[in-house]
Amino acid sequence: MHSMELVQVHKLCKNYPDAELGEFKALDNISFVAKAGEVFGLLGPNGAGKTTVLRILATILQPSSGTAKVFNFDVTSQADYVRYSIGFVSNNTAIYDRMSAWEMVEYFGRLYALSNDHLYPRMEKIFRKLQMDEFRDCPGAKMSTGMKQKVSIARALIHDPPVLIFDEASLGLDVMVARALQAIVLDLRDQGKCIIYSTHIMREVERLCDRVAIVYKGQILDSGTLPDLANRHNQNDFEELFFQLLMQGDAGIPIRRASIGPPSSEVSAKVSAAHHGSIR
Amino acid sequence: MNWSHIKLIFHREVRDQLRDRRTMFTICVLPILLYPLMGMVMLQVAQFHREQHVSLGIFGYENWPASQPLVADEDQSQIHWKQLTITEEISQTLNQLRISENQKGSEAAGTLSNNFVVDAKLAEKLLKNVQSDAIIWIPKGYDGTFTSTQLVVLSNQRWERSQLAVRLLAEKLDKWHQTSVRDRLAATTLGVSVLDGPGIKHVDVSVPESKRALIWTKILPFVMLVWALTGAFYPAIDLCAGEKERGTLETLLCSPVRRKEIVWGKLLTVMCFSVCTAMLNLFSMHFTTAIVMTQFSSMGATEMVQSLGPLPIHSMGWLLLLVIPISAMFSALALAVASLARSTKEGQYYLMPLLLIGMPLVMLPMIPGVTLTPGTSVVPVTGAVLMSRAMMDGEYTLALLHFPTVATITVLCCLLSVRWAVRQFESESVMFRDSERSSVSQWIRNVWRHRDETPSVNESIFCGLIILICLFFGRLSLGGMALEWDSIVKSTVVIQIGVILGPALIMAAILTRSIPKSFRLTRPRVMDVAVTVMMAFCLHPTYVVVATAISNEYKLGEQTTSMLQQFDSIIGNTSIWYVLLVLALLPAVCEELVFRGFLFAGLMRNRGHVRAIILTAVLFGLSHGVLQQTITASIMGLILGWLAYKTGGVACTIVFHFVHNSISMLLATSSHHKQSIPQFLSWALEIEDGRLCYSSAWCTLSVGIAITLVAWFATRNTIDKQTKQL
Repeated sequence: MHSMELVQVHKLCKNYPDAELGEFKALDNISFVAKAGEVFGLLGPNGAGKTTVLRILATILQPSSGTAKVFNFDVTSQADYVRYSIGFVSNNTAIYDRMSAWEMVEYFGRLYALSNDHLYPRMEKIFRKLQMDEFRDCPGAKMSTGMKQKVSIARALIHDPPVLIFDEASLGLDVMVARALQAIVLDLRDQGKCIIYSTHIMREVERLCDRVAIVYKGQILDSGTLPDLANRHNQNDFEELFFQLLMQGDAGIPIRRASIGPPSSEVSAKVSAAHHGSIR
Repeated sequence: MNWSHIKLIFHREVRDQLRDRRTMFTICVLPILLYPLMGMVMLQVAQFHREQHVSLGIFGYENWPASQPLVADEDQSQIHWKQLTITEEISQTLNQLRISENQKGSEAAGTLSNNFVVDAKLAEKLLKNVQSDAIIWIPKGYDGTFTSTQLVVLSNQRWERSQLAVRLLAEKLDKWHQTSVRDRLAATTLGVSVLDGPGIKHVDVSVPESKRALIWTKILPFVMLVWALTGAFYPAIDLCAGEKERGTLETLLCSPVRRKEIVWGKLLTVMCFSVCTAMLNLFSMHFTTAIVMTQFSSMGATEMVQSLGPLPIHSMGWLLLLVIPISAMFSALALAVASLARSTKEGQYYLMPLLLIGMPLVMLPMIPGVTLTPGTSVVPVTGAVLMSRAMMDGEYTLALLHFPTVATITVLCCLLSVRWAVRQFESESVMFRDSERSSVSQWIRNVWRHRDETPSVNESIFCGLIILICLFFGRLSLGGMALEWDSIVKSTVVIQIGVILGPALIMAAILTRSIPKSFRLTRPRVMDVAVTVMMAFCLHPTYVVVATAISNEYKLGEQTTSMLQQFDSIIGNTSIWYVLLVLALLPAVCEELVFRGFLFAGLMRNRGHVRAIILTAVLFGLSHGVLQQTITASIMGLILGWLAYKTGGVACTIVFHFVHNSISMLLATSSHHKQSIPQFLSWALEIEDGRLCYSSAWCTLSVGIAITLVAWFATRNTIDKQTKQL
């Protein structure tokens, strides 16, 4: 394994039982790698299979075939280790209604077996960084969507995982909170975290992602850095490029794909430089 | 398992539930308020009941013997007598009441014939007109002897007050009659003493405490179990379906906690609330009853107070001990059921089926005469309730005797329920299933389009249930046990081919692509068949011993025993080959094709061989209808299922089943065929009451050989290719 490849997905397939089709292929031979210090974007329309990939990486679902490794731990056979290596932020900002922000993060910190000496200073640090102090005792039911999302991020960061998974995390957030979320993601990337970021918003991809894979109907249509994709498909407008690929996918036209290579030198430099960030 | 995770989840869930006002209201506040409120209502009703009086209209009181008046002043408090005068209108109505043609209009108002027939509508109208709950009509010529003519009492039994009026009047007339008879006898030479019955002095040796315990031991376990189930269900819905709905379960699933740990953490929470609910209800009910009874005592209801007074403290202790294992079982069941639901609303729909399934087990101990025996101790819940009742009654030796069985069954049920709950949590289709549109036509199209070579798990279970329902109605329509050989043949053929094999055959043709694979028709290994035959011979003595023990424990009714004897007599007088064909071969083929064939093939999917063995055994047992046969057939079903798994098809199980049935038939008919024991078998068989039976030597030896043969099969590799394919 390349030392920086924190997520390795190889020929991943996932089939669901389906009332109409008998079996529905949610993922069909998906392969990609994501490295430390980069934001790897999974871009695709609703139902493309992004959430399924991320749920498999988070060990919530089992793959039908293929392999997926996080921090070199297999998601099927070494699920316990994988769970310690990831932080998962889902799109539904799921937090407990009858727990305060502080209690919620503390609870997950304890589940990750953090001792009091480590847990409370880290909580203080995260709460300060994410500007959560003012609502630390507010119960989940009374929080705004933005507050809930911050709590979700704090919960995912509490054990300082090397890999962070954001599943359409900006869905339903207002512009201010969405911008704050993007800033947090970039900050985490700068600390050398590997971030898998799923979205269907082009602008977010352009702002955040170092590399991106375009997922459609359970397959990766193409992947690479944004400039690479633009060059390969002669299309500088990323939104147009996205539609072009989707239409080619629908029509069954072969798409020129690049092999999944290492991240850009710029990203590598960031990784090697960043080890002591504010929210590590 | 990481117990610190379980502890963390338990603490969080308990704190979360304690912060939920709805849960707290149902679990804590409601029990505390409910019984005092009910007690208050009861006291009010009792007061109301005491003051209730009825209005009784009386026509023709002038015809009543003046020497012994019926209406006395002191009666006014209970019966309000309304002496009515017969007006012209009432006279007409009274005449119209008698609709018997030969009498109509022939008699004057106030007289009565024995052919009196009442026109109900007119009578109701009359009751309303005179504003009475009931009317007593004393016809002319009535002399109080009840022989001259009849008194007529008009009432409307649809009205509760009318029912009460009739009851009070009957008591009044009965009392009047007794006094009248005594007065008349006193005037004769016989005297009043002839009315005295045999002198009985009843001495009740029970102490009031134990009498009170008797009633409470029937009521309280029932109340406690219902509340234990209710107390388990609502937190279970919130902890499973609620978490799914809110999306927090997904967050927990990607944390380092294993699913088993999540289940245990949640289970302990649910159990904690279930125990609390049951105990709070118990205390609240008991405390309220004690106070209400004291109140009743002051009202003069001493008999009721004696029978329902406060429960002895040690009895409460035994009840509290019972609540823990029962709550554990119900909690695990509730958790597994609740995890099936996608939302709290959907979860609530599952409460009623769970209550309906649990209710018979809770009601069984309440049936008069049901006590703790080896038979009842193996019934889940029932055994535990009966054991706690035995403890409450002070029958400690009996309770201790059955404690190992009850404890084993209860722990086993708890573990199975927990295992089921864990499996639900591990199942992706349960945890992440989305809302599905229900369309029957689409479903049928899909079932047809996606037929497999063998049935699916659901199809197998559905087929098993269809067969059980068809058997129930089939047996009812055939009218019980046939007592003629032709009827036996007819009913056996109809049941075996039409009811058992038929549905499976139809489903295999429609729902699967390969009938041979669906029925697991494979060529058996010769050695397997040979060993199977030997195993059937060697296991039969053990089967007979077990069946006899079960029959002794669960006694057959006299009628059933007599019918079985007649059945033996009929088959004894028929050609043995014909009997073996109809009663040994036909059931062996049909039942094995269905239970170890079609149903087994579906249930075997996804490495579900343990599920297949257990479920087919239970369904096979239930298909036999009679309780005693159900138990023995289920045990036999386990052996046949295991054999079917090891041999990979139904051929060996058909052979085993046929040999087993044949031996049973030969032994059952032995007394009629007057068979003598061949010399070479004299060591294995003996004659008892004219019937062939196994010698003790063979019984012992056969167990050893059977174990060896089972071990031989156990060491053989399973040759079920289907398992590998699926």
